[in-house]
Amino acid sequence: MAQMPALIPKEVEIQRLKKVWLIVIAMGSTAASVEVDNFVDGSLHQTSIRDSAFTPAHWWLYSHFITLPLGWGAAAIYDRKIPVLRGPNNSMNTGLKMTILGYLATMFTIGVNEMWHFWFVEEIFAVPNHWMFNMGVVVAFMGALAYVVRVYARLVELGAETPGENPYVAEMYKMALEGKLYSRAIP
Amino acid sequence: MTLPKGFGSGSAGGSSSADVERMIGKRVENMTGMITVSFWAAILATFGGTAAGYFYYPWAYPTASGHFAFIVLTIIITIGYIFCVKVMEEGSNKNSNGILAASVAGATAFCLFVSLFVGW
Repeated sequence: MAQMPALIPKEVEIQRLKKVWLIVIAMGSTAASVEVDNFVDGSLHQTSIRDSAFTPAHWWLYSHFITLPLGWGAAAIYDRKIPVLRGPNNSMNTGLKMTILGYLATMFTIGVNEMWHFWFVEEIFAVPNHWMFNMGVVVAFMGALAYVVRVYARLVELGAETPGENPYVAEMYKMALEGKLYSRAIP
Repeated sequence: MTLPKGFGSGSAGGSSSADVERMIGKRVENMTGMITVSFWAAILATFGGTAAGYFYYPWAYPTASGHFAFIVLTIIITIGYIFCVKVMEEGSNKNSNGILAASVAGATAFCLFVSLFVGW
């Protein structure tokens, strides 16, 4: 793996990458908790007709649609201090762009969803107002994966983390460091 | 190495260890206290959220469901906490296994107490 040029001292970069890593672990816990809430919310909707948007399962679900965009926004602000994570033309990292756009879509969909449920008092999973929740989360997860792998790969390159033994994983790290995990054209 | 504006001694562009420390600020291996406080805040907030469910909406959110959610979330938060502390301290001389063990044991005891005695 070719050593990427360092624009800040190695020790500073490791510390900054680990601070990003702290934010990522906190958001990973939030995302895992929302996976649990999918079951809680689904079980509630099988036994109770929607009478309010403010059921406990919805507080939990909707709070993550706000927590995760804000958390990724915090990561994007701090990310500017780490040159290797910059995106094309010194813009925001492409993975972060995808993540924030994905979660912004889910924030927007909360409003769309409530307008729909004003008229249709059900909670069928496949209704159109739920589509953008699911698409937004998928886009966000794809971007988050690209970003997280890139952070980890850089920590491996700097000698602060253990490299993967699986050659496919090592190849993924290499692609991520070159900013080509998903596309060879868009870094 | 050339440092960003405001760091280094001048035109030479060299970096001293004091400059590096100033660029780092608070080191991640010294953040265990803040991480532990955040861990307990998350546990208490989760308890508050699930308790609000079974005290105010018992028809929609029975106590058993609330406790199930609280137990699973406590496990998730604890795994995140352990990851945070271990990853931040790796490669340094810091070792906070005592704080980690005490916090995890305390959270386990709190979770068991809530599950057995609260809201039934």
